[in-house]
Amino acid sequence: MGIKILTGFLSVAIFVLVLELARRGKLTFKYAIGWIAISLLGIIFIIFDQLLAAVSAWFGFTLPSNFIFFTLFCFFMFLSLFLTIFLCQQNNRNDTMAQEIGLLKLEIARLKKQIQNKFSAR
Amino acid sequence: MAEDRFLIIVPAYNESGNIARTVREIQSLLMPLTVLVVDDGSGDQTATEAEQAGAAVVSLPFNIGIGGAVQTGFQYAMEQGFSLAVQIDGDGQHDVSFLKKLIDPIVKNEADMTIGSRFLPPFIGYRSSLIRRVGIHFFAHLISFLTDYKVTDPTSGFRAFNKRMMNIFAREYPHDFPEPEAIMVARRYGARVLEVPVQMRKREAGHSSIRYLATLYYMIKVTFAILFNMVKAKGNM
Repeated sequence: MGIKILTGFLSVAIFVLVLELARRGKLTFKYAIGWIAISLLGIIFIIFDQLLAAVSAWFGFTLPSNFIFFTLFCFFMFLSLFLTIFLCQQNNRNDTMAQEIGLLKLEIARLKKQIQNKFSAR
Repeated sequence: MAEDRFLIIVPAYNESGNIARTVREIQSLLMPLTVLVVDDGSGDQTATEAEQAGAAVVSLPFNIGIGGAVQTGFQYAMEQGFSLAVQIDGDGQHDVSFLKKLIDPIVKNEADMTIGSRFLPPFIGYRSSLIRRVGIHFFAHLISFLTDYKVTDPTSGFRAFNKRMMNIFAREYPHDFPEPEAIMVARRYGARVLEVPVQMRKREAGHSSIRYLATLYYMIKVTFAILFNMVKAKGNM
């Protein structure tokens, strides 16, 4: 029973924390939705633990705990893959922005000089 | 205005002490050229020194790698309408007296990109350290085997490009350790790549961006990048 309370507490904590972070605008809905879904699933499985046993048996796991470990492992593997993809995308965007900023700075400096020359010629 | 001039792209990262000499050396050539130094987020006086020497300077807000710096040069060239560009390293390694030979095949429309090679006869100059030479030969053989280009110096950053090549590279250019991979990108677009014999000098100050500890990573990364380009979709441009 103790483990049920512990995991239930964790699931509710994640659920509430993510909702609060989304409310404060620290997490966008796009990234909050996955966490909300996972913590909800955790809460559902704790309340209806026969459901967890049935699902893990259906997948062929002898122990429901193995099913949970396996699912979590897959979840975090894909999560880190997606985070890597996201990181690369952000990196590329950063580089592109750096290049455009560099080119714009040169252009602005040139325009400034042109304007100065125009005024000093008068 | 830029149609008959050509652009010299000089990527530079912490080249204070070298850069002014490189810029002046290029400008002393009697050719209609514009020198663009792309300062890749240096922490020293590279940008100021280049500007004082009379170059146009693009200062990137932070370091994005030599490939990103060179690509900025291509983007500038396309914006300003240059029809020919040359890449020269900012460390004074490349002998600018070979510039005319390098751009000749581009001007005559015999190639889209030329690479200055220190391993082609008749010149016997500085050819880098033994360990680096082994790496260079490995990539040369790999690229020559995979493509129908005859490449002897795939890591050389002394190159010339026509407008078509610049247009491609302005959009798609590898950002770190770009030189060997860029040849593979060029191949995907069916570009004509030609090597021209040149001489190179030893670096005058500073150190090469590829240090011994990073050599293994460099070899693996570039090998993968070359092979990866073989399975990437063919480009159209």
